[in-house]
Amino acid sequence: MKKSSYALCLMIITLSIILTSCGGTGLLSKNKVTIEMVYGSEKEEWLVPLIEEFNKAKNEIESGEVIEIEAIPMGSIESIRRIISQDLQPVVWSPASDIVVPMANAEWKKEHSTDLVSDQFNYLVLSPVVIAMWQPMAEALGWPDGHLGWSDISQLSISEEGWDAFGYPEWGSFKFGHTHPNFSNSGLVSVIAQAYAGVKKQRDLTKEDIESTELTSFMQDVQSSIIHYGKSTGFFATRMFERGPSYLSAAVMYENLVVAQETKRISGESSQLPVVAIYPKEGTFWSNHPYIILNAPWVDDEQREAAQIFEAYLLDTEQQEQAIQFGFRPADPAIPLGFPLDTNHGVDINQPQTVLEVPQADITIGIQDLWSQVKKPVDVVVVMDTSGSMHGKKISSARESLGQFIGLLDDRDRVQIIFFSTEIISINELSPLANDREELQRRVSAISEGGGTRLFDAILNAYQTMEKSGNEDHIRAVVVLSDGMDTDSSLNMEDLINQIGVTDEESGTAIKIFTIAFGNDANKEILNQISETTGGRPYIGNPDSIYDIYAEIETFF
Amino acid sequence: MDEVIQQMEKKPLIVDGHPVQVNVEKMGSREMYLSVLDGKYQPDIISPASSLQINLLEDLSRRKYGDPLVIQSDQQYCKQVLLTPLVLVFWADRAQVLWGADPNVNIWVKINEALTDPEGWSTFGKPEWGYVKFGHTDPTRSNSGFMTIVLMAYEYMGKTSGMTVDNILKDAQFQEWLKNFEGSISEFGSSTGTYMKDIIAYGPSKYDMVAVYEATAIEHLENAQGRYGELIVYYPPATIMSDHPFCVINAEWVTPEKRKAAQAFIDRLTSPELQEIAMMKYGFRPVNSDISIDQPGSPFIIYANNGLHIDIPPEIELPAGDVLDTLLQFWIRNIQR
Repeated sequence: MKKSSYALCLMIITLSIILTSCGGTGLLSKNKVTIEMVYGSEKEEWLVPLIEEFNKAKNEIESGEVIEIEAIPMGSIESIRRIISQDLQPVVWSPASDIVVPMANAEWKKEHSTDLVSDQFNYLVLSPVVIAMWQPMAEALGWPDGHLGWSDISQLSISEEGWDAFGYPEWGSFKFGHTHPNFSNSGLVSVIAQAYAGVKKQRDLTKEDIESTELTSFMQDVQSSIIHYGKSTGFFATRMFERGPSYLSAAVMYENLVVAQETKRISGESSQLPVVAIYPKEGTFWSNHPYIILNAPWVDDEQREAAQIFEAYLLDTEQQEQAIQFGFRPADPAIPLGFPLDTNHGVDINQPQTVLEVPQADITIGIQDLWSQVKKPVDVVVVMDTSGSMHGKKISSARESLGQFIGLLDDRDRVQIIFFSTEIISINELSPLANDREELQRRVSAISEGGGTRLFDAILNAYQTMEKSGNEDHIRAVVVLSDGMDTDSSLNMEDLINQIGVTDEESGTAIKIFTIAFGNDANKEILNQISETTGGRPYIGNPDSIYDIYAEIETFF
Repeated sequence: MDEVIQQMEKKPLIVDGHPVQVNVEKMGSREMYLSVLDGKYQPDIISPASSLQINLLEDLSRRKYGDPLVIQSDQQYCKQVLLTPLVLVFWADRAQVLWGADPNVNIWVKINEALTDPEGWSTFGKPEWGYVKFGHTDPTRSNSGFMTIVLMAYEYMGKTSGMTVDNILKDAQFQEWLKNFEGSISEFGSSTGTYMKDIIAYGPSKYDMVAVYEATAIEHLENAQGRYGELIVYYPPATIMSDHPFCVINAEWVTPEKRKAAQAFIDRLTSPELQEIAMMKYGFRPVNSDISIDQPGSPFIIYANNGLHIDIPPEIELPAGDVLDTLLQFWIRNIQR
């Protein structure tokens, strides 16, 4: 939001003669000015090639230093926490939407006297928040003629009958998803929209509204249909479009992700059903990708200058026009909207017709708290390799991060821990953490390594435990960490895959296995295959990254 | 201004054999008169967006120093340079639903009723449009927002001149009306141009209508073509001009030489050549009557279908400085968030 250039001006007259000053030319070598940028990952495909091109061109600030942009994709809500804690000190922050700006300022001002973000910033690209749904499913609900909204989706999530009520028993239950509201902008706006739907409002959400018992039970019902959460909207979309309608019926994401998927489908790169964007009738939110040069003590004048040069580049007509190809609506209103922003690609640029009011920061935080209370609980069996090869830093870092992982879960979540080497030892039953969190953490901290690797048997054991003891209304997950090849199992890989494979109908709510291939000797391919079979996610880790991986897995819950 | 400065390089202004150099600094209108008032800033000429701020500075500086820093009635040293009225930019289909072909009178009362209606557009049979959304800038940071609340207040008071301090402070119903009106607006930004850009970039979902200058609307209307629908410009039945006064400061730091140079500079700004550029290129109404605004290629002709008029409704009388200050202080105390 820049001041209008010529409307408000103030003038000084000077009659002095200005002398040209002839400074020395200097012999400075080409130093670099590095701009770290933390950005919402949804614009990665547009942004990353532009950064490469910009860096290659070796643009300079006035002093002659060459600008280099380093960009880190991150969930918008997570990035607030990490900037406030100064764990990250970027020059530029570009979250998915400006909704998070008041939250960031409120947090920052607890310890500083000025705002972290001034109100003078520009936007890079725009995209409305939509509910992406498979076209046949949307049609069964009356799309495109009937207007669908957050309330309809919420009701459908709650209904016992699911798709049966619409004459499609073969589609099973209605499987809905959005990202984690404490990590990702689309997850946050999803729960805000659910709160509005729950109290039948489109603005003026009050403290009383979010404290009402009606809203609590409504939110709890809606959350019970969520298959899992996750920290990145981009990953969520990829997962839905890879695994199809049996995994997710609909998910909250951005319009540009629908256009990107439809572009792939039309080109033959994806063989899924067509997907369409539903613009909720009650209104939605815009993701508008603000480009914020932080008003922080670690940002100096040269970085500010460099960041402005990069900003001007991103807002140039050519770069703005390219954004359309990735499904964005350019922030520059001078650029016409056209292909592929059309109905052939599942979207309608005449929508949305209205928005929901962005609540004040304290109300937003209240909704996040409410969500934490009503979110779907998780049942998780953690399977950890304690074979002899885990010796040294591996076992110590694995022990420590597992203890921290247990600390991240809620009291209502149920956890069971299984260690395996030549033996498979379960240290507890699947039970709520409220009762024995500290006891579990204590026992985890005392585990030592030794023996062989009965990987397949241990995974099957955990899977069967979950089948028997897990609650189908909870998110059910098995988290496996292993550093080597199977050496001692009676089961082979093929048998394991057969036993854990999911039927197509209910793959969204099936037990998911998350695998961590730990260290260089881990069998990445086998672990990949195991997690992919179940709809979980494989990770590759080492003692330095293991905590972050556990923390990321936690965002699915 | 950028273009004026460029032109001055090609065609220097000479006063008494000396070339005149002009240094320009941009500043928000309110920040400008406040920093000149408290002496933080000592420019030779001040040019806020409208005479509202000149009235305020004249009144406040007279109270503070006895001798005012600007004298609006001194037409030799205080001149309007460019004119542009405050307008409402509205999506055509939504305007049709709200007030048919024309709002006629009581435009602000109608907008207020629609904004504060808890049913929003449902009351007008259009639930899919949600609640009614109007945007104007923050009156403490931007002149167009200030002009907007002055027009709202006059219309509520049922007059177009003679607003008094008592009209504001002694009428609880007016105060309630204004608080509700402004309370239905989600946020107040600082740049008028941003509102016009946003209504085009986001379409009708974000704003049904915005209050901006006519020149701002003209600057952006081309971008709106073939996008989300048709935008229409409405003139409130009583309007107010952003008149871009250029006033030489009445203080000892402005030497006689500078006063003379400043006056010559202001004369240059009102020359036919610069006035025509301001009209044809930027959509400002000229103060120089030699320039006609209905000439071929004029934006007022090009965008006639978007509701632009050659003739505009009568202007309200600008309230006196102390009245303006009272209105602004009321807004700061009761509405600013």
